[in-house]
Amino acid sequence: MSADQEPGRSRVAYLDRDRALVEAARRDLSAFEPLYRRYLAQVYSYAYYELGDHHDAEDATERTFLLALTNLGRFEERAQPADGEGASTFRVWLFRIARNVVANQRRAHRRRPEVPLEAAAVVHDPLDVEGDAAARADAATAWAAVGRLPGDRRRAVVLRFVEEMSTAEIAGVLGRSEGAVRVLIPRALRSVARDLGGRER
Amino acid sequence: MSPPPSERAEADALLTDLYLDALLAARERHATDAPTAAALDPAIRAVAARLAADLDRVHPSFRFEERLAARLAEAAARLRLAMAAGAEASTARRGGTDPARSPDDPADEIGSWPVDADPTGDAEVHGRGRPLLIGGALTSAAISIAGAAAYVAWRRARPLTPLARAVRGVGQGRLAHEPGSPPERLD
Repeated sequence: MSADQEPGRSRVAYLDRDRALVEAARRDLSAFEPLYRRYLAQVYSYAYYELGDHHDAEDATERTFLLALTNLGRFEERAQPADGEGASTFRVWLFRIARNVVANQRRAHRRRPEVPLEAAAVVHDPLDVEGDAAARADAATAWAAVGRLPGDRRRAVVLRFVEEMSTAEIAGVLGRSEGAVRVLIPRALRSVARDLGGRER
Repeated sequence: MSPPPSERAEADALLTDLYLDALLAARERHATDAPTAAALDPAIRAVAARLAADLDRVHPSFRFEERLAARLAEAAARLRLAMAAGAEASTARRGGTDPARSPDDPADEIGSWPVDADPTGDAEVHGRGRPLLIGGALTSAAISIAGAAAYVAWRRARPLTPLARAVRGVGQGRLAHEPGSPPERLD
Protein backbone atom coordinates (compact mmCIF):
# COMPACT_ATOMS: atom_id res chain seq x y z
CA MET A 1 0.00 0.00 0.00
CA SER A 2 1.41 3.41 -0.82
CA ALA A 3 1.67 6.15 1.76
CA ASP A 4 -0.94 8.16 -0.13
CA GLN A 5 -3.51 5.48 0.47
CA GLU A 6 -2.89 5.24 4.16
CA PRO A 7 -5.27 7.56 5.96
CA GLY A 8 -4.30 9.42 9.10
CA ARG A 9 -0.60 8.81 8.67
CA SER A 10 1.97 11.33 7.62
CA ARG A 11 3.50 10.49 4.27
CA VAL A 12 6.86 11.85 5.32
CA ALA A 13 6.88 9.73 8.48
CA TYR A 14 6.13 6.69 6.37
CA LEU A 15 8.85 7.44 3.88
CA ASP A 16 11.67 8.63 6.10
CA ARG A 17 12.63 5.81 8.37
CA ASP A 18 14.95 7.97 10.47
CA ARG A 19 12.41 10.61 11.32
CA ALA A 20 11.78 9.51 14.91
CA LEU A 21 15.51 9.24 15.66
CA VAL A 22 16.27 12.59 14.08
CA GLU A 23 13.51 14.33 16.02
CA ALA A 24 14.67 12.77 19.28
CA ALA A 25 18.23 13.93 18.57
CA ARG A 26 17.00 17.42 17.80
CA ARG A 27 15.18 17.60 21.12
CA ASP A 28 18.19 16.27 23.00
CA LEU A 29 21.56 15.98 21.28
CA SER A 30 22.59 13.11 23.54
CA ALA A 31 20.01 11.06 21.63
CA PHE A 32 22.18 11.29 18.50
CA GLU A 33 23.87 8.01 19.34
CA PRO A 34 21.35 5.62 17.70
CA LEU A 35 21.77 7.51 14.41
CA TYR A 36 25.52 7.26 14.80
CA ARG A 37 25.39 3.51 15.47
CA ARG A 38 23.07 2.94 12.53
CA TYR A 39 25.26 4.70 9.99
CA LEU A 40 28.78 4.36 11.36
CA ALA A 41 29.80 1.34 9.29
CA GLN A 42 28.26 2.80 6.14
CA VAL A 43 30.02 6.15 6.44
CA TYR A 44 33.28 4.49 7.43
CA SER A 45 33.05 2.06 4.56
CA TYR A 46 32.42 4.81 2.05
CA ALA A 47 35.35 6.82 3.42
CA TYR A 48 37.57 3.77 3.36
CA TYR A 49 36.80 2.90 -0.25
CA GLU A 50 37.33 6.52 -1.24
CA LEU A 51 40.52 7.13 0.73
CA GLY A 52 42.07 3.68 0.80
CA ASP A 53 43.50 3.99 4.29
CA HIS A 54 42.01 3.05 7.66
CA HIS A 55 43.39 6.06 9.51
CA ASP A 56 42.17 8.50 6.88
CA ALA A 57 38.79 6.78 6.88
CA GLU A 58 38.58 7.13 10.65
CA ASP A 59 39.41 10.83 10.43
CA ALA A 60 36.79 11.39 7.74
CA THR A 61 34.19 9.40 9.66
CA GLU A 62 34.82 11.33 12.84
CA ARG A 63 34.61 14.63 11.05
CA THR A 64 31.44 13.65 9.23
CA PHE A 65 29.59 12.68 12.41
CA LEU A 66 30.76 15.73 14.35
CA LEU A 67 29.59 17.96 11.52
CA ALA A 68 26.27 16.13 11.37
CA LEU A 69 25.80 16.50 15.13
CA THR A 70 26.63 20.19 15.26
CA ASN A 71 24.56 20.95 12.17
CA LEU A 72 21.56 18.78 12.84
CA GLY A 73 19.45 21.94 13.00
CA ARG A 74 20.04 22.44 9.29
CA PHE A 75 18.74 19.05 8.24
CA GLU A 76 15.39 18.99 6.48
CA GLU A 77 13.47 15.91 5.58
CA ARG A 78 12.83 15.77 1.89
CA ALA A 79 11.44 12.31 1.28
CA GLN A 80 9.43 11.97 -1.88
CA PRO A 81 6.99 9.18 -2.70
CA ALA A 82 9.32 8.21 -5.53
CA ASP A 83 12.07 7.48 -3.01
CA GLY A 84 10.18 4.39 -1.96
CA GLU A 85 9.54 2.72 1.33
CA GLY A 86 12.36 2.86 3.83
CA ALA A 87 14.14 5.77 2.18
CA SER A 88 16.03 8.07 4.45
CA THR A 89 16.77 11.62 3.54
CA PHE A 90 18.90 11.75 6.69
CA ARG A 91 21.17 9.09 5.20
CA VAL A 92 21.42 11.09 1.99
CA TRP A 93 22.20 14.27 3.97
CA LEU A 94 24.81 12.43 6.04
CA PHE A 95 26.44 11.03 2.91
CA ARG A 96 26.50 14.46 1.33
CA ILE A 97 28.53 15.61 4.31
CA ALA A 98 30.71 12.51 4.03
CA ARG A 99 31.20 13.12 0.31
CA ASN A 100 32.36 16.69 0.99
CA VAL A 101 34.60 15.70 3.88
CA VAL A 102 36.19 12.89 1.86
CA ALA A 103 36.62 15.12 -1.20
CA ASN A 104 38.38 17.72 0.93
CA GLN A 105 40.57 15.07 2.47
CA ARG A 106 41.47 13.62 -0.92
CA ARG A 107 42.38 17.07 -2.15
CA ALA A 108 44.46 17.66 0.96
CA HIS A 109 46.31 14.37 0.68
CA ARG A 110 46.49 14.25 -3.11
CA ARG A 111 46.31 10.52 -2.69
CA ARG A 112 44.37 8.14 -4.83
CA PRO A 113 43.24 4.75 -3.57
CA GLU A 114 45.40 2.70 -5.90
CA VAL A 115 46.25 -0.01 -3.41
CA PRO A 116 43.66 0.24 -0.72
CA LEU A 117 42.73 -3.27 -0.24
CA GLU A 118 43.15 -4.26 3.24
CA ALA A 119 39.42 -4.18 2.53
CA ALA A 120 39.93 -7.26 0.45
CA ALA A 121 41.18 -8.91 3.59
CA VAL A 122 37.65 -10.07 4.16
CA VAL A 123 38.18 -13.75 4.84
CA HIS A 124 35.87 -15.79 2.68
CA ASP A 125 36.97 -19.16 4.01
CA PRO A 126 39.55 -19.26 6.81
CA LEU A 127 40.64 -22.78 5.83
CA ASP A 128 41.17 -21.97 2.19
CA VAL A 129 44.33 -19.89 2.38
CA GLU A 130 45.16 -20.10 -1.32
CA GLY A 131 41.61 -19.39 -2.35
CA ASP A 132 41.51 -16.49 0.06
CA ALA A 133 44.73 -15.03 -1.31
CA ALA A 134 43.33 -15.33 -4.83
CA ALA A 135 40.10 -13.68 -3.73
CA ARG A 136 42.05 -10.85 -2.17
CA ALA A 137 44.08 -10.36 -5.32
CA ASP A 138 40.89 -10.34 -7.40
CA ALA A 139 39.26 -7.84 -5.10
CA ALA A 140 42.36 -5.66 -5.13
CA THR A 141 42.42 -5.66 -8.92
CA ALA A 142 38.72 -4.86 -9.15
CA TRP A 143 38.97 -2.10 -6.60
CA ALA A 144 42.04 -0.59 -8.23
CA ALA A 145 40.04 -0.37 -11.47
CA VAL A 146 37.18 1.36 -9.64
CA GLY A 147 39.69 3.66 -7.96
CA ARG A 148 40.89 4.83 -11.38
CA LEU A 149 37.44 6.05 -12.37
CA PRO A 150 36.86 9.80 -12.38
CA GLY A 151 35.11 11.38 -9.35
CA ASP A 152 31.35 10.93 -9.63
CA ARG A 153 31.59 7.65 -11.54
CA ARG A 154 33.73 6.20 -8.78
CA ARG A 155 31.46 7.55 -6.04
CA ALA A 156 28.38 6.23 -7.80
CA VAL A 157 29.87 2.74 -8.04
CA VAL A 158 30.87 2.74 -4.36
CA LEU A 159 27.47 4.00 -3.25
CA ARG A 160 25.68 1.45 -5.45
CA PHE A 161 27.76 -1.63 -4.70
CA VAL A 162 29.08 -1.03 -1.19
CA GLU A 163 26.28 1.03 0.34
CA GLU A 164 23.57 -0.55 -1.82
CA MET A 165 21.92 2.81 -2.38
CA SER A 166 19.15 3.27 -4.91
CA THR A 167 19.69 5.47 -7.93
CA ALA A 168 17.47 8.13 -6.30
CA GLU A 169 19.60 8.15 -3.15
CA ILE A 170 22.85 8.34 -5.12
CA ALA A 171 21.39 11.23 -7.10
CA GLY A 172 20.67 12.97 -3.78
CA VAL A 173 24.20 12.40 -2.49
CA LEU A 174 25.91 13.51 -5.68
CA GLY A 175 23.54 16.39 -6.34
CA ARG A 176 22.67 15.10 -9.80
CA SER A 177 19.44 14.04 -11.45
CA GLU A 178 18.33 10.46 -11.20
CA GLY A 179 18.55 10.09 -14.98
CA ALA A 180 22.14 11.33 -14.96
CA VAL A 181 23.12 8.80 -12.30
CA ARG A 182 21.36 6.01 -14.16
CA VAL A 183 23.49 6.76 -17.22
CA LEU A 184 26.65 7.26 -15.15
CA ILE A 185 26.69 3.75 -13.70
CA PRO A 186 26.72 1.68 -16.93
CA ARG A 187 29.42 4.00 -18.26
CA ALA A 188 31.44 3.42 -15.11
CA LEU A 189 30.94 -0.33 -15.38
CA ARG A 190 32.05 -0.33 -19.03
CA SER A 191 35.20 1.59 -18.07
CA VAL A 192 35.95 -0.90 -15.30
CA ALA A 193 35.32 -3.83 -17.66
CA ARG A 194 37.68 -2.34 -20.26
CA ASP A 195 40.29 -1.61 -17.58
CA LEU A 196 40.10 -5.12 -16.12
CA GLY A 197 40.07 -6.71 -19.56
CA GLY A 198 43.15 -4.73 -20.61
CA ARG A 199 45.11 -5.50 -17.45
CA GLU A 200 44.19 -9.14 -17.11
CA ARG A 201 44.77 -9.99 -20.74
CA MET B 1 15.75 -0.56 -37.60
CA SER B 2 17.74 0.19 -34.47
CA PRO B 3 16.71 2.96 -32.05
CA PRO B 4 18.69 6.25 -31.94
CA PRO B 5 21.81 6.16 -29.71
CA SER B 6 20.31 8.39 -27.00
CA GLU B 7 17.30 6.10 -26.61
CA ARG B 8 19.50 3.07 -26.62
CA ALA B 9 21.69 4.57 -23.89
CA GLU B 10 18.60 5.34 -21.81
CA ALA B 11 17.23 1.84 -22.27
CA ASP B 12 20.65 0.40 -21.38
CA ALA B 13 20.80 2.55 -18.28
CA LEU B 14 17.36 1.48 -17.14
CA LEU B 15 18.11 -2.16 -17.79
CA THR B 16 21.41 -1.93 -15.88
CA ASP B 17 19.61 -0.27 -12.99
CA LEU B 18 17.04 -3.07 -12.79
CA TYR B 19 19.74 -5.69 -13.11
CA LEU B 20 21.78 -4.15 -10.29
CA ASP B 21 18.70 -3.99 -8.06
CA ALA B 22 18.17 -7.72 -8.61
CA LEU B 23 21.87 -8.54 -8.24
CA LEU B 24 22.29 -6.66 -4.96
CA ALA B 25 19.05 -8.07 -3.58
CA ALA B 26 20.35 -11.57 -4.40
CA ARG B 27 23.61 -10.78 -2.60
CA GLU B 28 21.69 -9.67 0.47
CA ARG B 29 19.78 -12.95 0.48
CA HIS B 30 23.06 -14.82 -0.01
CA ALA B 31 21.50 -16.34 -3.10
CA THR B 32 23.94 -18.22 -5.29
CA ASP B 33 22.10 -17.80 -8.58
CA ALA B 34 22.74 -14.52 -10.37
CA PRO B 35 19.73 -12.80 -11.95
CA THR B 36 19.46 -13.14 -15.70
CA ALA B 37 19.22 -10.26 -18.12
CA ALA B 38 19.93 -11.54 -21.59
CA ALA B 39 19.36 -8.12 -23.14
CA LEU B 40 22.12 -6.56 -21.07
CA ASP B 41 25.67 -6.20 -22.37
CA PRO B 42 27.56 -9.32 -21.10
CA ALA B 43 30.59 -7.16 -20.21
CA ILE B 44 28.43 -5.11 -17.85
CA ARG B 45 26.86 -8.21 -16.38
CA ALA B 46 30.25 -9.79 -15.73
CA VAL B 47 31.82 -6.73 -14.14
CA ALA B 48 28.71 -6.02 -12.05
CA ALA B 49 28.74 -9.58 -10.71
CA ARG B 50 32.43 -9.25 -9.90
CA LEU B 51 32.05 -5.94 -8.09
CA ALA B 52 29.03 -7.24 -6.17
CA ALA B 53 31.16 -10.15 -4.99
CA ASP B 54 34.33 -8.17 -4.28
CA LEU B 55 33.19 -4.86 -2.83
CA ASP B 56 32.11 -5.71 0.69
CA ARG B 57 31.26 -3.24 3.39
CA VAL B 58 34.21 -2.57 5.69
CA HIS B 59 33.67 -2.18 9.43
CA PRO B 60 35.70 0.09 11.68
CA SER B 61 37.35 -1.28 14.79
CA PHE B 62 35.29 -1.58 17.97
CA ARG B 63 37.83 0.65 19.70
CA PHE B 64 37.31 3.41 17.15
CA GLU B 65 33.54 3.04 17.34
CA GLU B 66 33.51 3.47 21.12
CA ARG B 67 36.03 6.29 21.10
CA LEU B 68 33.99 8.26 18.58
CA ALA B 69 30.77 7.54 20.48
CA ALA B 70 32.36 9.07 23.59
CA ARG B 71 33.61 12.04 21.59
CA LEU B 72 30.16 12.68 20.15
CA ALA B 73 28.59 12.44 23.61
CA GLU B 74 31.12 15.02 24.84
CA ALA B 75 30.41 17.32 21.92
CA ALA B 76 26.65 16.96 22.49
CA ALA B 77 27.09 17.85 26.16
CA ARG B 78 29.15 20.93 25.27
CA LEU B 79 26.53 22.03 22.76
CA ARG B 80 23.80 21.61 25.34
CA LEU B 81 25.79 23.67 27.84
CA ALA B 82 26.36 26.39 25.29
CA MET B 83 22.64 26.48 24.53
CA ALA B 84 21.77 26.53 28.21
CA ALA B 85 24.20 29.43 28.68
CA GLY B 86 21.91 31.42 26.44
CA ALA B 87 23.74 31.28 23.18
CA GLU B 88 21.45 32.94 20.70
CA ALA B 89 22.91 31.47 17.58
CA SER B 90 21.18 28.35 16.40
CA THR B 91 23.15 25.33 15.27
CA ALA B 92 22.09 26.26 11.75
CA ARG B 93 24.09 29.47 11.81
CA ARG B 94 27.78 29.41 11.35
CA GLY B 95 30.32 31.99 10.40
CA GLY B 96 32.08 31.65 7.08
CA THR B 97 29.23 30.13 5.13
CA ASP B 98 28.18 31.63 1.86
CA PRO B 99 24.83 33.37 2.44
CA ALA B 100 24.09 33.22 -1.27
CA ARG B 101 23.87 29.47 -1.08
CA SER B 102 20.52 27.85 -0.79
CA PRO B 103 19.69 27.64 2.90
CA ASP B 104 17.77 24.43 2.35
CA ASP B 105 20.83 22.59 1.15
CA PRO B 106 22.73 22.14 4.36
CA ALA B 107 25.25 19.64 3.18
CA ASP B 108 26.42 22.01 0.45
CA GLU B 109 27.00 24.73 2.98
CA ILE B 110 28.85 22.36 5.22
CA GLY B 111 30.88 21.37 2.21
CA SER B 112 31.80 24.98 1.58
CA TRP B 113 33.80 25.13 4.76
CA PRO B 114 37.52 25.34 4.27
CA VAL B 115 39.52 22.15 4.33
CA ASP B 116 41.35 23.20 7.42
CA ALA B 117 38.20 24.04 9.35
CA ASP B 118 38.30 22.56 12.80
CA PRO B 119 37.54 18.90 12.20
CA THR B 120 36.58 18.28 15.77
CA GLY B 121 33.61 20.61 15.67
CA ASP B 122 35.00 22.40 18.70
CA ALA B 123 35.05 25.63 16.77
CA GLU B 124 31.31 25.30 16.36
CA VAL B 125 30.81 24.82 20.07
CA HIS B 126 33.02 27.75 20.97
CA GLY B 127 31.80 29.95 18.18
CA ARG B 128 28.25 29.59 19.32
CA GLY B 129 29.11 30.30 22.92
CA ARG B 130 29.90 33.97 22.61
CA PRO B 131 30.27 34.31 26.42
CA LEU B 132 33.10 31.79 26.21
CA LEU B 133 34.90 33.99 23.73
CA ILE B 134 34.43 37.06 25.94
CA GLY B 135 35.54 35.03 28.93
CA GLY B 136 38.59 33.98 26.94
CA ALA B 137 39.41 37.59 26.09
CA LEU B 138 39.04 38.64 29.73
CA THR B 139 41.24 35.79 30.82
CA SER B 140 43.89 36.83 28.31
CA ALA B 141 43.73 40.42 29.54
CA ALA B 142 43.97 39.29 33.16
CA ILE B 143 47.00 37.17 32.32
CA SER B 144 48.64 40.18 30.64
CA ILE B 145 48.01 42.47 33.63
CA ALA B 146 49.22 39.86 36.09
CA GLY B 147 52.30 39.30 33.94
CA ALA B 148 53.13 43.02 33.85
CA ALA B 149 52.67 43.32 37.63
CA ALA B 150 54.94 40.33 38.25
CA TYR B 151 57.60 41.81 35.95
CA VAL B 152 57.54 45.18 37.78
CA ALA B 153 57.75 43.43 41.17
CA TRP B 154 60.69 41.34 39.95
CA ARG B 155 62.48 44.41 38.62
CA ARG B 156 61.99 46.19 41.93
CA ALA B 157 63.20 43.27 44.03
CA ARG B 158 66.24 42.57 41.85
CA PRO B 159 69.62 43.61 43.36
CA LEU B 160 70.79 46.69 41.48
CA THR B 161 74.11 47.19 39.75
CA PRO B 162 76.12 50.24 40.87
CA LEU B 163 75.12 52.08 37.69
CA ALA B 164 71.43 51.27 38.16
CA ARG B 165 71.63 52.40 41.80
CA ALA B 166 73.14 55.67 40.61
CA VAL B 167 70.42 56.17 38.01
CA ARG B 168 67.69 55.41 40.54
CA GLY B 169 69.32 57.77 43.01
CA VAL B 170 69.38 60.56 40.41
CA GLY B 171 65.74 59.90 39.64
CA GLN B 172 64.74 59.96 43.29
CA GLY B 173 66.86 63.05 43.81
CA ARG B 174 65.04 64.77 40.97
CA LEU B 175 61.70 63.90 42.42
CA ALA B 176 62.74 65.16 45.89
CA HIS B 177 64.51 68.19 44.50
CA GLU B 178 62.77 71.53 44.83
CA PRO B 179 62.69 73.48 41.60
CA GLY B 180 65.29 76.26 41.68
CA SER B 181 67.49 74.77 44.46
CA PRO B 182 70.94 73.28 43.59
CA PRO B 183 71.20 69.56 43.14
CA GLU B 184 72.59 67.44 45.95
CA ARG B 185 75.97 65.96 45.50
CA LEU B 186 76.25 62.24 45.10
CA ASP B 187 79.04 60.58 47.05
